[in-house]
Amino acid sequence: MSGPLILGVPSKGRLQDDTLAAFAGAGLELVRSGAARRYRGRITGVPGIEVAYLSAPEIAREIGAGAVHLGVTGRDQVEETVPDWQRRAAFAKPLGFGYCDVVVAVPEAWIDVDTMEDLDDVAADFRPRHGRRLTVATKYINLTRRFFAGHGIADYRIVESLGATEGAPASGAAELIVDITTTGTTLKANGLKILSDGVMLRSEAHLVASLAADWDDRQRKALAGLLSAFKLGKRDTARLMKAVADA
Amino acid sequence: MTESFESLRRLFSDAGYGFVEPPIVHPASVFVELAGEDLRRRLFLTNAPDGTELALRPDYTIPVCLHHLANGPAKRRADYAYLGPVFRQRPGESGEFLQAGVESLGRTDRVGADADALKLALDAVAALGIRRPAIRIGDSALFGAAIEALDLSPPWRRRLARSFGDTKRLTALITRANGANGNGSIAGRQERTAARRKAAGLLEATGLATIGGRTADEIADRLIEKSVIAAGIGDRPARVLTQFLAVTGTPDKAHAELSALAKREGIDIAPTLARFAERNEALAAHGIDLGRLTFAADFGRRLDYYTGFVFEVHDRARPKVAQIVGGGRYDRLVSLVGDNGRAVPAVGFSIWLDRAGGSA
Repeated sequence: MSGPLILGVPSKGRLQDDTLAAFAGAGLELVRSGAARRYRGRITGVPGIEVAYLSAPEIAREIGAGAVHLGVTGRDQVEETVPDWQRRAAFAKPLGFGYCDVVVAVPEAWIDVDTMEDLDDVAADFRPRHGRRLTVATKYINLTRRFFAGHGIADYRIVESLGATEGAPASGAAELIVDITTTGTTLKANGLKILSDGVMLRSEAHLVASLAADWDDRQRKALAGLLSAFKLGKRDTARLMKAVADA
Repeated sequence: MTESFESLRRLFSDAGYGFVEPPIVHPASVFVELAGEDLRRRLFLTNAPDGTELALRPDYTIPVCLHHLANGPAKRRADYAYLGPVFRQRPGESGEFLQAGVESLGRTDRVGADADALKLALDAVAALGIRRPAIRIGDSALFGAAIEALDLSPPWRRRLARSFGDTKRLTALITRANGANGNGSIAGRQERTAARRKAAGLLEATGLATIGGRTADEIADRLIEKSVIAAGIGDRPARVLTQFLAVTGTPDKAHAELSALAKREGIDIAPTLARFAERNEALAAHGIDLGRLTFAADFGRRLDYYTGFVFEVHDRARPKVAQIVGGGRYDRLVSLVGDNGRAVPAVGFSIWLDRAGGSA
């Protein structure tokens, strides 16, 4: 992929505001430009970089596909959306916003369940009693599978939730959920509690480099410039530049 | 390759197995309910126009059982063979590949059926040109008998049984079971009543009372079980199980070691050990050199429909290639597929033809 470095930036909402502020803090002004100004832009005074405005999940996907070089998105999005993310993406820098935890939450009425080990017992016991598997509602299918497998839990199934996951237990769509939370208030209001070892991931918006993208000299130079503007440390910069060179 | 496939077809037909070709497309729920969520990431999924999730078969075993149930009473004797494509998402490998194998259903002489299955698998491996097979066998019935004989509390028995096959997890579990303090008192009737009331109140308050998930009784029962779990399993069972799981070697040597262990520790697993010995004799009677088999007491599959004998074959000439044959006894599968709760004896194996490669 020759041409400019493609920088994926959230296209709307709070995440976009925070991203613009973070870039402004690094002395970089993002401006929309060109004929496709709704979707494309550049950085004032910095040549060789093209800004692509995308949704946060799209940014993660494009990082995995190598269609953007660098993007701003949540760690949760990358780990969920990008297959083999350890090899396809490198977290360059946490940006200090977009905090959320991905958690396992069960009904408060389950007074016998505090830990993942409790959940394992309940899951194994559920099928013989109810003739079907214990069901987990979530948008985070891959994270859930990995986390549950890590705890040795096999007797469950996932139903993909497309919104308002916290309502799934009350509607009967699932027994428990995996979802993001910042304060836990929504979960509490829905009669759910987080398991004591049920925090799967503490997420935050990151500057993420794609290791699936092709990087030429010009693009690597543009990356080095951005990293320096974000005051990334010497060692971290060297590590990232090497990962990108090897990509 | 075609030639060796022909010899496999002949081999299975001559042994009395009838070839079947069940559908490729099935409701995904059939596989996910039986094999668990972990299988789903390996399925090729699509949707029917009505939204039903469909999957390409990831193996033949479940489709063959469905075929069996659709064509007569579950308990009848039937011997099926197959050779054809199966579909699994495999990073860096083709998702479509060939498997051949057999499923023998309804045979009540289990020991004989087990021995016949391994014999046929080894003949098939030879027909594929694999000269130096590494053959590993196990038997979850032995572990089941051991935890039964140790008189463990039911929740610990269940925990241990379902971890069998994952030795790292099982070992950690035994260590923790032993380390539990044992001082906690077992909760009684009064505690149960209080727990039930509390759970019922919360289910009501959060609108879950009428949903059909876990009930207040279920929750209260398990709270009692937790106090049983906290009491641990004690030194002796932990020691016996640790020694048990470490037993490995030729079937004869393993039998001698397990017998000695049972005698030393005073646990009665004699009937299961007798069946193990009987199966070994049946294998020897088939002309299988027992010195070529490696038994491992901790070898099993973490799928709850496997109920006893298991085996797998690797190629010593290509140690990096995954198992070429996987087989075993799965008496619980037909009842889980058919949903009638009655066990139907079943044993079979699958050959991963894409890994066989011997004469490719």
